Amino acid sequence: MKIIPFSILLAATVATAAAHPVAFEGAYQLMLGTAGSVQNFEFYHSYSSKAAWGLHAMRFDGDEDEIFTGVQHNWLLKRWNLPSSQANVYAGLGAGLAGEVGNGASPAGVGFFRADYETRRVYTAFDAKWVESADVSRGVFSAAAGIAPYEAEFDQLNTWLILQVEHVTGMEDKLDIIPKVRFFKGPYFLELGSTLTGKLVVNFMIHF
Amino acid sequence: MKIFSIVSLLALTATLAHAAPDRVVTVKTTVNGMVCSLCAQGILAHFKKHPAISNVHIDFTRKLVLLEERKGKSITDEEINEYIKKSGFELVKVERVKESFDQVKAG
Repeated sequence: MKIIPFSILLAATVATAAAHPVAFEGAYQLMLGTAGSVQNFEFYHSYSSKAAWGLHAMRFDGDEDEIFTGVQHNWLLKRWNLPSSQANVYAGLGAGLAGEVGNGASPAGVGFFRADYETRRVYTAFDAKWVESADVSRGVFSAAAGIAPYEAEFDQLNTWLILQVEHVTGMEDKLDIIPKVRFFKGPYFLELGSTLTGKLVVNFMIHF
Repeated sequence: MKIFSIVSLLALTATLAHAAPDRVVTVKTTVNGMVCSLCAQGILAHFKKHPAISNVHIDFTRKLVLLEERKGKSITDEEINEYIKKSGFELVKVERVKESFDQVKAG
């Protein structure tokens, strides 16, 4: 099945939430991570500053692990560029295959909505993501807020302290609370954290 | 004859105004929305590819994208606006100043 290579990739890595569904025109962005019970792999090409397309894979750890793999198109629906802040609204739709690991896969759809607001000291974001197929029905909802301990310039290391709450439908834990620290410099982005139950959170992203 | 001379003078002035100056020019570009260095990578990527640009500096505090033009070459305001838009930001103002790139960069 087509999902086997992604299964291997996801088993070998830990993947992330889509922080940048659309980047600058001409950019490629790779996002990998794990947060609680959800692992994520995304690779997109922004063919304009308002749209991107690429590959998306997710794995949901549970009694029966589930995997989605497919192609996705993302849109920057609205951006507010203000003198000292920026706010964005994104959405995306995709199609692929989803199923329980080892039990084949069936056609699936995926969608997401994201809104964020950021200054150089304050960060807030809301994400909602859905995967639906004959065998898999999952929703991932998260909200995050953070502060930067200092105002970093363009060429300096940026540091953020972020608190995220996340809910995955159908999982045992009703709500994951995730304190994490975010670093980025140049085109590289790294987030490290943990759920209160001790599950590792790692997110990595690069733009090129 | 007098009218012809005035027209010629105006035409010459217009030509000189659009020609690339024979010196290094610093361009101060004010941009809205620059709060995240990861998000602003596109600005660097786009301007670095322009043949007239020898140096780029991004200053979040002053909301500036500072450009240094190569001697005898120039970038147009339209190109600057296009590159800022492709990077996902909003151009506010373009100024060409006499100070050197390093002087403006130092503030």
